[in-house]
Amino acid sequence: MYKLITPRIKKVAYFLVSLFVLLAVRLFFVQLGAAKPLSKLASDQYKTYFCLLPRRGIIYDHQKKELAISINLNSIFADPLMVEDKESAADKLAGVLGQDKDNILAKLSEDKRFVWLERKVQPKTEKAARELSIKGVGFIKEPKRVYPNGELASHVIGFVGLDDKGLEGIELKFDKFLKGTVGWRYSIRDAKRREVPGYEYKEIPPADGNDIILTIDSIVQAFAERELESAFEKYKARGGTIIVMDPYDGDILALANRPTYDLNNIKEFPVEARRNRAVCDFFEPGSSFKIVTASAVLDEGVVQPEEEFFCENGEFKWSRHTYHDHIPHGWLTFRDVIKHSSNIGTMKSAMKLGEKRFYRYIKRFGFGSKTGIDLPGEVEGVTRPTRQWSKLSLCSIAMGQEVAVTAIQMACAVSSVANGGYYVKPRIVERIEDKTGEVIEEFKPEQMQRVISEETAEELRAILRRVVEGGTGKLAEVKGYFPAGKTGTAQKIESDGSYSHRKFMASFVGFLPYDKPKFVIVVIMDEPRPYYYGGTVCAPVFKSVASQLMRYYKIEPAS
Amino acid sequence: MKDFLRTYRAIGFIFILTFTMLMYVNQQVLIYQMGLKVKENYQVYSKLFDHNKILVYNVLNLKSPVNLQTKLLAKKVELDMPHKWQVVKLESSPKKFVHKEAAKKGLFANLFIVGREAEASPSITGFAHLSY
Repeated sequence: MYKLITPRIKKVAYFLVSLFVLLAVRLFFVQLGAAKPLSKLASDQYKTYFCLLPRRGIIYDHQKKELAISINLNSIFADPLMVEDKESAADKLAGVLGQDKDNILAKLSEDKRFVWLERKVQPKTEKAARELSIKGVGFIKEPKRVYPNGELASHVIGFVGLDDKGLEGIELKFDKFLKGTVGWRYSIRDAKRREVPGYEYKEIPPADGNDIILTIDSIVQAFAERELESAFEKYKARGGTIIVMDPYDGDILALANRPTYDLNNIKEFPVEARRNRAVCDFFEPGSSFKIVTASAVLDEGVVQPEEEFFCENGEFKWSRHTYHDHIPHGWLTFRDVIKHSSNIGTMKSAMKLGEKRFYRYIKRFGFGSKTGIDLPGEVEGVTRPTRQWSKLSLCSIAMGQEVAVTAIQMACAVSSVANGGYYVKPRIVERIEDKTGEVIEEFKPEQMQRVISEETAEELRAILRRVVEGGTGKLAEVKGYFPAGKTGTAQKIESDGSYSHRKFMASFVGFLPYDKPKFVIVVIMDEPRPYYYGGTVCAPVFKSVASQLMRYYKIEPAS
Repeated sequence: MKDFLRTYRAIGFIFILTFTMLMYVNQQVLIYQMGLKVKENYQVYSKLFDHNKILVYNVLNLKSPVNLQTKLLAKKVELDMPHKWQVVKLESSPKKFVHKEAAKKGLFANLFIVGREAEASPSITGFAHLSY
């Protein structure tokens, strides 16, 4: 009989059975011992978290006009190992991206799986690059921060880095509100690491950043910047600052500095131009500080407005030091001392007040402390305590020397006089809203302590009106609106510590209308040439901005 | 007879099992297709949204007082806030201009009458910072 199961078949059968037994044993141990790590390994390979980027919040001005928005642009990358003809690819890409061919070739020759070729390119460039269809070159969408107004309010708005993180201004200070929260999706991916649609396990959507509404009015900002720019160019100044502020609630309507920079092309401007001089730089204010001296002596009642002071015909020796007036004067009433900006008259009035009381007023006006404005890098300025004062300090400080202030501190101090005697905290952010328009945080105006009495403030406003009417600030006059203010021309300090006779800091601080002030304007020019007097350089800027402000806010002139 | 029934049951069982499996596969394919469609739609939406954002930016760029000022100054045109006497306030908006002939002959006459009102339409080409 033909034997069905031959020994050879038996051997094969035994072999196969033992193979299956081995496999079963292996399977048993895999299932029992290595199941967890192996299933994790597999899961890691095909399941992954996909990052969902939020949209950065918008920065608006007071009228809800966009000052900073985010758009998505494509960035171009390459996987050098996948690019076949590197020479030809570099040649084509160089033409489209406007880069050096050798630079691109060097990137494509790197032993990496990922290199950036160009970040956040314009849609036109992206389209041209796509049309090249180079294998190994890909596109990734990235958010780009753009600023429709370019240079406008650059020092206030600030900017973000390539990773969309705030680096300056409001972008930095309110980064945590603007950036939003990254979301994620747990899903399956295919062999090419692409997400497989329809297999999302879990998703936490991203929370978009909140919008910030500033107190800045872009129209006021535009004409304040225009006037500052023209003076900056005309007097070939080293720097300049202008602040327009509401004296009652402390709202900053415009804040600008020169030199400035374009927020859309930061790299093209020197780092120096990015400094927000209004809050980061302090300077000796010179005669504009006489507002503080006058406030103190009048408020304490040690000087009456009609009291006369002998101004020593322009030369006054005090403790082995000789002080001068820029124009010699004889007897002047206190009102005229301020009107003509007499250093000697101001010093003599301060002497009646004494060091301690004077220092108390300096501190009350907020000098030597940060104003608390929501901008990064604010400095305190310099006000030394009385125990560190020399015999000359009282006289020097009375006329704005030996004390260093910031432009924003000056704006707050003048606001105190303008609003009837209250110190107001400057406010640059009005509120923060979420995407639905719901208010997340509101920054209400903060009126703080009383600095001087209402009567003193009123008297001082009248004195400062005389400065513009017939004193050193005549060029600030705006017909029908009765502005008031004070000029300042301070000598800068040379590297050897002496006062310079070539470098000056010109300023004009004022408000209008003088009886019911609506706006405070501070103009500062650093080293203007050839003219350097505050009344010549800064007062005309005040006048131009003030007259445009009146027309913009439709404030009727008094007949 | 018993064998016959058993065979039928087995075939039926295999049929149901196969059908269920096919249904499952079909369902998975449908899920994938729907997911793909949602993804495609989202990509279109996202593309249009991004495009819209860029256009909004371009419009803002054109409207920006600083940019307008720069362009006007380049053409030596200087603008200033108007004085009160320079502003003319109208009591009410003027009635829409209607051509005499059109008023006489009715609505269809408009089609055949030359001299329609000129209308400005927004244009976002030219100075745009980001261009397509």
